[in-house]
Amino acid sequence: MSLYFRRRIRNIIVLGLSVGATVIGLGWLVMILGELVYEGFSGLSVAVFTEMTPPPGSDGGLLNPIVGSLMLTTLAVAIGTPIGILAGTYMAEYGKYAKLTIVVRFVNDILLSAPSIVVGLFVYEIMVAPMGHFSGWAGAVALAIIVVPVVVRTTEDMLTLVPKELREAATALGVPRAHVIRYVSYRAVQAGLVTGVLLAIARISGETAPLMFTSLNNQFFSVDLNGQIASLPYVIFQFASSAYPEWQKLAWIGALIITFAVLALSITARVLASSRKSS
Amino acid sequence: MALGASAADAHRMREPGRNKVVDLAISDGGVAGWVAASRSRILRRLRLNDAFFRHLTRSAAVLVLLILSGVIIALIDGAIPAIRAFGFDFLIEERWNPVTEKFGAFASIYGTLVTSFIAMLFAVPFGLLIALFLTELCPMWLRRPIGIAIELLAGVPSIIYGIWGLFVFAPFLQRTLQPTLIDFFGDNPWFGTIPVLSTLFEGPPYGIGMLTAGLILAVMVLPFVTSISRDVFEAVPAVLKEAAYGVGCTTWEVARYVVLPYARVGVIGGIMLGLGRALGETMAVTFVIGNAHRVTASILAPGTTISATIANEFTEAVGTLYTSALIELGLILFVITFIVLAAARYMLLRIERRIG
Amino acid sequence: MSSMANVGTAAPPPPTVAARQSDAAGRLAEKVSVRDLSFFYGENRALKAINVSLYDRKVTAFIGPSGCGKSTLLRILNRIYDLYPNQRAEGEVLLDGKNILANGQDLNLLRARIGMVFQKPTPFPMSIYENIAFGVRLYERLPRTELDARVETALRRAAIWEEVKDKLHANGLSLSGGQQQRLCIARTVAVKPEVILLDEPCSALDPISTAKIEELIDELKDDYTIAIVTHNMQQAARVSDFTAFMYLGELVEFDTTSKMFTTPADRRTQDYITGRFG
Repeated sequence: MSLYFRRRIRNIIVLGLSVGATVIGLGWLVMILGELVYEGFSGLSVAVFTEMTPPPGSDGGLLNPIVGSLMLTTLAVAIGTPIGILAGTYMAEYGKYAKLTIVVRFVNDILLSAPSIVVGLFVYEIMVAPMGHFSGWAGAVALAIIVVPVVVRTTEDMLTLVPKELREAATALGVPRAHVIRYVSYRAVQAGLVTGVLLAIARISGETAPLMFTSLNNQFFSVDLNGQIASLPYVIFQFASSAYPEWQKLAWIGALIITFAVLALSITARVLASSRKSS
Repeated sequence: MALGASAADAHRMREPGRNKVVDLAISDGGVAGWVAASRSRILRRLRLNDAFFRHLTRSAAVLVLLILSGVIIALIDGAIPAIRAFGFDFLIEERWNPVTEKFGAFASIYGTLVTSFIAMLFAVPFGLLIALFLTELCPMWLRRPIGIAIELLAGVPSIIYGIWGLFVFAPFLQRTLQPTLIDFFGDNPWFGTIPVLSTLFEGPPYGIGMLTAGLILAVMVLPFVTSISRDVFEAVPAVLKEAAYGVGCTTWEVARYVVLPYARVGVIGGIMLGLGRALGETMAVTFVIGNAHRVTASILAPGTTISATIANEFTEAVGTLYTSALIELGLILFVITFIVLAAARYMLLRIERRIG
Repeated sequence: MSSMANVGTAAPPPPTVAARQSDAAGRLAEKVSVRDLSFFYGENRALKAINVSLYDRKVTAFIGPSGCGKSTLLRILNRIYDLYPNQRAEGEVLLDGKNILANGQDLNLLRARIGMVFQKPTPFPMSIYENIAFGVRLYERLPRTELDARVETALRRAAIWEEVKDKLHANGLSLSGGQQQRLCIARTVAVKPEVILLDEPCSALDPISTAKIEELIDELKDDYTIAIVTHNMQQAARVSDFTAFMYLGELVEFDTTSKMFTTPADRRTQDYITGRFG
């Protein structure tokens, strides 16, 4: 066998493997999503959105976890986004050349990929243990801690992209720094900042571990943040690991709802990002 | 040189009285002083505004630091009772007995490392191959859709993988793969019992266990590795690849001798990021790991990981020692992921410096 | 005739400034005086003991080959270099007699008095109206009608009113390059500065837009002191009253434009103008 022939064979084998890997890799996605739609879709009904979670063995809905998740997510974003944007602003603007920024960037990246269960433990220690009980506030704080690094990262990346000529032009007009940032830089990267927030929301929508030690769960419908609040991910966890078929069914439906929400958010974020590029 | 004749002269001749009205509006010279004074009043106010905003943003940045320090301090604080009780043995003790209050992290740590290892074992080759496909072989019109699909896969919440694993994958493995592995390595007609591998694949086919958990983790980590590898491959300057093609290299040879070496650091960084993710993953693993605090040679056996232990036992833990032991587990996990992430960051920084 | 041998030697510039000033400009007021100005990027000395003046309501052009420091000099005049660390200036720059390089100087106020137009047109991500109103609103609380009038005035001053009067609420980025640059000029003029600095304002524009802007400069000089950096010598000759030739961070020669371009005193100036190097 000539050397050239062997090289060509090797090439074909590897390329064949790469195609195979892609097919298998994408195949997982199709399989998982397909199963999700199959199991979850068949159980979808109005009742899911109007009835509370049932006791074991009976039928019901997912009203309280859906509402609970919405509340927790909204609160987490309300807390985490301002902190994230302000911190990102410091890193890209005032503190661009400061040592603090280098440290914060490193710390932020650690937080970004840190195991979320550890965040749950942290908030347990500082909020749940002293307060003596689980609460929705603790859950929201735990999720906020996950939101912050995502927003910091996108904000810093976006603001760094603002061309220095634009900043200089505004400064040359006698505009103070804060105004330059608020009325010129922020406006220039509006879509990017929104994208960051959407990505953060998508991220926390499926987080279970942080909620396990903070807001836990609530069998009944409740909007009292001082007490335990139901959330979709936790309910899925509880119901899926149980032995009751009705509960397992609801777990699939909940999973479908979350996945759909996360995909919708991701796609919206993507569309926003590309429309910004074309304008 | 007649360069002195300017367009200005021509202009003046054209429109003599044009700027009269305008001149009234922009009166000059003497007004400058008055304007400056009133402006400095306003600017003083704006300057306070500016200082306030600067301190506000700075505080937010410091807050990020405080969060991380807070996490570390809280974990250490919560783990102290357990550290005092068990000391260093905690790391090597396998026993985990809530009744006698004797806790050891060995099984959890072992499980975390083994499942992550299995995950990376599959995710890395697959990820690199897919990245190779996307950058070299894939037709242009297909690239964006597949790329988007990969990123969407990365966004699927881990609990979805968890329940899919529990209801679909584990039973499937139990029925098909595991019996095959056990038979093949245990006692097959051609080779008899294969020494090491038979212990590795020993035991009844539970369906759940470390192998299952590892495989599900692999599917979870795959998009990260693929995505980062693809970005790094794309950043390889076209001239380098063209030079290789120019001397007659096949696609694979270009990848092996040009792309991979150039992208090596970035790829390793991406792999470590994926590893960091795998180590800390909770929900994808908890359902299918089996929750047994045992260290067994066979990867088909049930085990546990740090995050699975914490997830399953924290809310039922009674007594400060039990809770503290769980928090110490969390601390260990945090330290492991911290090291991996810091190393990944360092590597990615090196490639960013080289490219940009 | 003149050889290239002297180009780039370390000889300090002949004392052209003080001597010749009195000839052409003895009765003119100095709006901005630059005295012994040196500038450093880190350890690197970019400007060496510059002495030059901008005369009130005259146009002064700065010419020289790339890297000679003319843009650097301009950017000191409104202290825009302050935005970046590791850049510092030594010496004095007097605006109406007061040193603007001193500590405690209100930079925003300074920049309102000394405006700048950059090489690349940079409209803000807002409507055309807002681009102009933004700067004005910063300093004055004007009722709507007055603000409208100011915006119109500024746009007329920049010779762009006729082209945009029907689309004041369109985004600034929707204009062509030349229009954007005139918008930037309008923006600068709207805050009523005393000095306008132009850093190669036409280098990114087509010839027609360039001609329009050169006309503009001629009108603007009735009310503002203007300094323009340009690598286009013909442009310098067309629009300016005074010209400064810079080379390798030094001010080689400074004189009235007509004198500079007909009988320059320094050999380096002559060589540059006649195109022996650039």
